[in-house]
Amino acid sequence: MRRSKLGERLFAGANYTVVTLFTVFCLLPFYLLVISSLTDQKVLQLDGYSLWPRKFSLEAYKWVLRGKPVLVGYQVSTFVTVVGTFLSVVLMCGVAYALSVKKFKFRNQLSFYIYFTMVFSGGLIPWFITCRNLGLYDNIWALIVPMLMNPWWIFILRNYFNGLPGEIMESAVIDGASDWTILTRIVLPLSMPVLATTALFVAVGYWNDWWHGVILLDFADFRPLQVIILRIINSIRAIRQAMAMEGGGALAISSAQIPAKSIRMAIVVVTIGPIILLYPFVQRYFIKGLTVGSVKG
Amino acid sequence: MMQLTKPTSTPTASLVSAARERSGVARFLGELHRNRLILLLALPGLVLIFLLKYVPMFGIVVAFEDFRAQTGFFSPWVGLDNFRLLFGSPVLWRIVRNTIILNTLFIVVGTIAAVGMALVLNEIAQPLLRKLAQSIMFLPFFMGWTVVAMMLYGFFDYQSGMVNNLMQSIGLERFSFYEQPNLWPGILTALHVWKTTGSGCILYLAVLVGIDTQLYEAAEIDGASRWQQMRFISLPLLVPTVILLTLLAIGRIFYGDFGMLYAIVGSNALLYPTTDVIDTYIIRALQTTTNFGMSTAVGLSQSVLGFICVFGSNWIVKKWSERRGEDYSLF
Repeated sequence: MRRSKLGERLFAGANYTVVTLFTVFCLLPFYLLVISSLTDQKVLQLDGYSLWPRKFSLEAYKWVLRGKPVLVGYQVSTFVTVVGTFLSVVLMCGVAYALSVKKFKFRNQLSFYIYFTMVFSGGLIPWFITCRNLGLYDNIWALIVPMLMNPWWIFILRNYFNGLPGEIMESAVIDGASDWTILTRIVLPLSMPVLATTALFVAVGYWNDWWHGVILLDFADFRPLQVIILRIINSIRAIRQAMAMEGGGALAISSAQIPAKSIRMAIVVVTIGPIILLYPFVQRYFIKGLTVGSVKG
Repeated sequence: MMQLTKPTSTPTASLVSAARERSGVARFLGELHRNRLILLLALPGLVLIFLLKYVPMFGIVVAFEDFRAQTGFFSPWVGLDNFRLLFGSPVLWRIVRNTIILNTLFIVVGTIAAVGMALVLNEIAQPLLRKLAQSIMFLPFFMGWTVVAMMLYGFFDYQSGMVNNLMQSIGLERFSFYEQPNLWPGILTALHVWKTTGSGCILYLAVLVGIDTQLYEAAEIDGASRWQQMRFISLPLLVPTVILLTLLAIGRIFYGDFGMLYAIVGSNALLYPTTDVIDTYIIRALQTTTNFGMSTAVGLSQSVLGFICVFGSNWIVKKWSERRGEDYSLF
């Protein structure tokens, strides 16, 4: 086999092209989103797409920040994310630590107790009835408590705790340290990378959650951000369906009932804003975090 | 994949003498007492798991009951009536078929995209470009489906969608994407690729990074091109990971990506023929109908089938990896 310089170069060029194109494919929706949120509504309606705002306008953002539902939604989502992430990581660490302590004989049975919930569930409706009976309905805890315990992250934490050097713990025991001291002074400080990864993914889970807000909030006067977005989508959908049935008659309602496109896009931008802003600082953690504890050996 | 401890069988003391049994209980309590601090730390979490995961498991009795809100889990018993109703309904075939078709598309296309991207990224020599590309590809993973659904309206909406505007400006007719069920398996698969390729290729890249560089050097000496090295060294070495992850995904084939479908399709009945899956059907039942019994029966059937699939695929992974002298199984 003879290697041709040209062939090698073509191959390398193809690789770079594929990577660049796919990167653009991943980034393009975000770009178009930001551009349409910054474009004047009338221009957007006439021209639609454009790679650059033909008429720059911050009106959409002003509207969004004036509107009460979005601000309340922001507060709700922030509270749920901060409190939920904190409680979730603390509680999961407690369980994961018990599973990792070698002198605790029943840790295997306990692992199975948690593992079983990963492979079998009672299904949605019994879960819903249970939540209602527990009082997790129409209040802020309905958005927090159901997501606190995630078996997947409990096992990731346990695997990481298991991988810590046992000698340090043993010598601490000889020095008379209690389990509490070992956990807070040795295990947790050594586990910062996995704690950061877990907290990050749990926080994103809380921030992006709309499902509990849809199922478990009924008459409450607050909604998380994601549910506000979902409601806008649903009203667009309803109006489009009405239009499809009646012809153009519903056109008049449509402009009155759904926020204009630039406003919709601005709402999406402020919703994903915190993730995008924090992303550059945390991304080095999760690429490592996803492989931590997931590869045997 | 995740290493889970094999559950060891609990020694049951039922067959031994009463004295031994008492000492067994005493030993058990003693063990709990010695580790009371650890248990205390774990207790809140364990109680939550019991309340939110195990209590609903007992709630599957609803599948055999004529559910009433007043009587809750203790409604009148109707035996298998709910299942008879379920298996007689034409909807069942549709939701099962859609769940399997969509998941198969996601598994096949998603795996090809992730493996391909890992192989190509692995060829990028510049570390900075490679890191940047990887970070950007990972970004969609963090977007909620509601956000994606809203962006999608920006593209495909009949009135103001970018795609329709573009089509009109080049002289084509406007097209109502949201009324064409046949297009959606394709659109949803593209979305799946957009959202998961960046995260999916991480594991494959980890494998590629671990390959012994001597293999490539030897191939280099033998005159293999980069393409041949990718094709005959990198790709074959990824196969075990591909098989493993695919089998694990097959284990979850009865669970639809309902977050995606509920946010994107929602109540748009025009798209149900191709996009209505088991999970979305159950949620709709919860919101619109009062027949909790039948919906629970759907959920129970899904859980049981899912359980069989998870164990089946795990068993295959175990047998297959044992032959290779490794253990990739989950449990």
